[in-house]
Amino acid sequence: MLSGLLLIPLLGAIALLVWPGAVSGERLRRTCLALLVLQVAWSLRVLWQFDPTISGLQLEEIAPWVGSLGLDYRLGIDGLSLPLVLINGALSLAAALVTSTSTPRPRLYYALLLLISGAVNGAFLAQNLLLFFLFYELELIPLWLLIAIWGGSNRAYAATKFLLFTAVSGVLILGAFFGLALATGTADFSLQPLLGQELGMGMQLLLMGALLVGFGIKIPLFPFHTWLPDAHTEASTPVSLLLAGVLLKLGTYGLLRFCLGLFPDAWQLMSPWLAGWAAVSVLFGSLAAIQQQDMKRMVAYSSVGHMGYVLLAAAAATPVSLLGALFQMVSHGLISALLFLLVGVVYATTGTRDLNVLRGLLNPERGLPITGSLMIAGVMASAGIPGMGGFISEFLVFRGSLVPFPVPTLLCMVGSGLTAVYFLLLVNRVFFGRLSPPADDLDTPLPAVPLARQIPALALTVAVLLLGVAPQALGTLATATTTAMGRAPQRLAALPVSAAPDRLLAGGMGQ
Amino acid sequence: MNRFPLYRIGGPSRLRTRAAAATVRSTRRSFEADMDLFGVLPALTELPHLAAASLASVPLATAPAIGLGITAAQLNSGAIAPEAAILIALLVCLLVDLAGEEAAVRWVPPICYAGLGTALVLLARQWNAPLEPSFLGSFLADDLAVAFRAVVAASTLLSLMISWRYVERSGSPVGEYAAILLAATLGAMFLCGSTDLVSIFVSLETLSVSSYLLSGYMKRDARSGEAALKYLLVGSAAAAVFLYGASLLYGLTGGSTGLDAVGVALQTSATPVTALALVFVLATVAFKIAAVPFHQWTPDVYEGSPTPVVAFLSVGSKAAGFALALRLLVGCFDSFDTQWKLLFTVLAVLSMTLGNVVALAQTTMKRMLAYSSIGQAGFVMIGLVCGTEDGYAAMVLYMAAYLFMNLGAFACIILFSLRTGSDRISDYAGLYQKDPLITLGLSLCLLSLGGIPPMLGFFGKIYLFFAGWADHQYLLVVVGLITSVVSIYYYISVIKMMVVKEPQEASDVVKAYPPITWNLAGMGTLRTALVACVLVTAVGGVLSNPLFTWANGAVTGTPMLQQSIASSAAREATAIAAAPVPPTPAILG
Repeated sequence: MLSGLLLIPLLGAIALLVWPGAVSGERLRRTCLALLVLQVAWSLRVLWQFDPTISGLQLEEIAPWVGSLGLDYRLGIDGLSLPLVLINGALSLAAALVTSTSTPRPRLYYALLLLISGAVNGAFLAQNLLLFFLFYELELIPLWLLIAIWGGSNRAYAATKFLLFTAVSGVLILGAFFGLALATGTADFSLQPLLGQELGMGMQLLLMGALLVGFGIKIPLFPFHTWLPDAHTEASTPVSLLLAGVLLKLGTYGLLRFCLGLFPDAWQLMSPWLAGWAAVSVLFGSLAAIQQQDMKRMVAYSSVGHMGYVLLAAAAATPVSLLGALFQMVSHGLISALLFLLVGVVYATTGTRDLNVLRGLLNPERGLPITGSLMIAGVMASAGIPGMGGFISEFLVFRGSLVPFPVPTLLCMVGSGLTAVYFLLLVNRVFFGRLSPPADDLDTPLPAVPLARQIPALALTVAVLLLGVAPQALGTLATATTTAMGRAPQRLAALPVSAAPDRLLAGGMGQ
Repeated sequence: MNRFPLYRIGGPSRLRTRAAAATVRSTRRSFEADMDLFGVLPALTELPHLAAASLASVPLATAPAIGLGITAAQLNSGAIAPEAAILIALLVCLLVDLAGEEAAVRWVPPICYAGLGTALVLLARQWNAPLEPSFLGSFLADDLAVAFRAVVAASTLLSLMISWRYVERSGSPVGEYAAILLAATLGAMFLCGSTDLVSIFVSLETLSVSSYLLSGYMKRDARSGEAALKYLLVGSAAAAVFLYGASLLYGLTGGSTGLDAVGVALQTSATPVTALALVFVLATVAFKIAAVPFHQWTPDVYEGSPTPVVAFLSVGSKAAGFALALRLLVGCFDSFDTQWKLLFTVLAVLSMTLGNVVALAQTTMKRMLAYSSIGQAGFVMIGLVCGTEDGYAAMVLYMAAYLFMNLGAFACIILFSLRTGSDRISDYAGLYQKDPLITLGLSLCLLSLGGIPPMLGFFGKIYLFFAGWADHQYLLVVVGLITSVVSIYYYISVIKMMVVKEPQEASDVVKAYPPITWNLAGMGTLRTALVACVLVTAVGGVLSNPLFTWANGAVTGTPMLQQSIASSAAREATAIAAAPVPPTPAILG
């Protein structure tokens, strides 16, 4: 069942690569779209079979693979991974849809797209640490190629920077997994919650720190974020969409699943610092976004800020905040994908993303009215206007985190306010005002964007609205899991307190 | 010396027009002349015969015993049946070579395949066979030896398959080339199973002398001559050092050269002489596996030598070196394992760091792969230092994985240099358009060398790091992890050249790329070897469980390794028992 989510894109990618003879780009595109639609349908089938009342893993699949390494093929899905698998399918499809029909080297392009989609699914479903790592690394080279081949003018630099940062993050994660699996004395990498409990606190902190930095690079958190704006600026629109919408979620997913799930004690000890770090990351991302002159860089920095909320919610680790973290992951995936998509449309039609150049694109006759309207909806959602997806997630995050960490939460709220500042700047400059006429011929309208190309953006806007209006759909899916995760640390924290007095008493009696 | 460019076309046709006997004579003569230029023993040109003779002397290592009426059954000569098959192939190759170049070109390849194929089949039959020392204790065909001999034989087979066209094009006689390579293989295979200081030295020299000849085989190319001379000088020094170390060990045993006797003698003596012997022996091993700081010969030799020879040296010769390391260090110096493990840790850290960092700066493929092979040897040394079951198994596994991915990479760069005559990394720019096979093959092999999933190299590397971490070799694993990020960078930069560069950015060499043809003699086998290596590298990772079972079997089927594992476990247990128990305050009260 779950293997289908891996096999469809991965085998599809191989088939696309090795299919003999010359195949036209249009045909490749259609094959890729068909495979991605199939993948989405398959994820919906998984959704159909999923029982939201169970907090643990479902639909598990276990097969032995390499016994000597402790690596077995073990997949499972729960309320945390299912929504992410769903948005991965949807956004991969969107990325393929918005790809220009005349993209160069289509065979490699669509194969890599499928490869990434399959690898990301694998990482979300893997229930073995090494298997997760395998999929986490598998996505590295295809994305590097996607940026390096189809990127902008400075793509070589951005792609290599991305590659090195992610490779370092992979090494840190692998080291931590080794430490975890072998320090507990068993050569077993299967993912059991609370595995780290058996270790001493020093070791737990060390391993969790390595994981934290590893995933912090991927999320990205300040100060490990520097690869992201470069990668986004140079990547083409579909790749940016995937990167922001799906791949960054690997980092936050790892944070929740591995850092919090495996080391709840150490996590709790560190959580005030983590909340502080989240606030710094949010404020830095927002302030840096205000400074940007490039639309894409601005959206990229806003990602740095918005992913900080997830760290804040994870640090609080209350049932409500964790649900908020999941909502934030989903809504940020949809919203940032939408924003990158629209920035891509603007760039494709006007040839620039410079805020100092663009003016008045909302002009109904000569501008981009639909794109402009959708952009306004997108930035409203991103700034957390009630009724949109962003509001629900930010509300849940702040509501869940305010009690344990009042000051960092308030600082993050300031960051949320700053979101409105920079996005209003963007909308005000680019879409409002008077459309500056071209110097020579006064009445040349911008080329109209065909409706077919607007469909992904429209669909994403609808999804963002739906998430805001009817959040219970996602809530029902995820609540059981996030509640269980949120309770676990408290229950365990309670254990030593109740056990310790007994032991002390016993010692005293012995004397 | 008459110089002409390395990759010039036209040599073979000229050779074919000559009378066969004259060819042989003239090549012999020019060979001698070249060797005289080096100031090397002219007798070395008689190498194949010398090799055959010295191989015959391996059993004679314990010559006095033969006088005492030893029967053939006690010699257990069946253990070297695979080597015998290769020896026969070697002799037949030489005989065919006498019949002229044309006959050689036609018949030498099938003879070599037959010999090596038979050897591999015979090796498979020796797997897990009842263990009996042969030739009165100078050779042992345990599973470890079988595994490493199989790696060596397979590397020769693949190296030969990728070299026919290259050798023919360079205008050198094929028969002699094959014979010398087979002699080197024999030396390497004997080295894997030798359990006596004398047989170790003889097989080591057979391997080394053949390697010197091979690296100087492009005799009209000055760089090849330089490589051979450097290799010869450094190699002879290493051999002398080994002999000195061996003589010290001989003295310690009081008159025996068997490794068992040496091991027993070392257990009871902890004199400075032993330390000296250890250092000498270790230097030889480090030279053979090109560990830093004994690596200086590698880049120059790799750059100057014919590329197929480099392919063999980087895999076959290195595998034999690791087998030697296991025999000597684990088998003999087991009682000094803290000392040699410390030394090897230093060597491994230096190799991984220097090999991978210097590879960043290289501009030619061969030099880049030379430094990368130094780094890769550093990774393998992690397994050696561990000394656990997993550690040894990871070594065997990684050598097998390295065989395929490295030879696959070499097959690609040989094919590229055959088509363009270039070896510079920048000349690969834009290759994807002109030659998808090389691009795909080289990309997959380099990704595998860099340890990217789901390639075979990923699993091999993970297993090494896993074994290292399980044995608490944190320093080694951390250095390994960091340097593999560095290695990804330089492997990726080659892929970037080939795949990412657009047609308009392509190098001049690629712009003038010849149309792809496979119908020239020797090209078909090159393609077969390339595709086979790339397939194993790409698919072998996902299906690697049998390979893991095989590697683990090689370790469990080797009494020497089992003994060492058991004794180190016992030492650990006594160390834990002997450690003072921290007093618990509650009880004291």
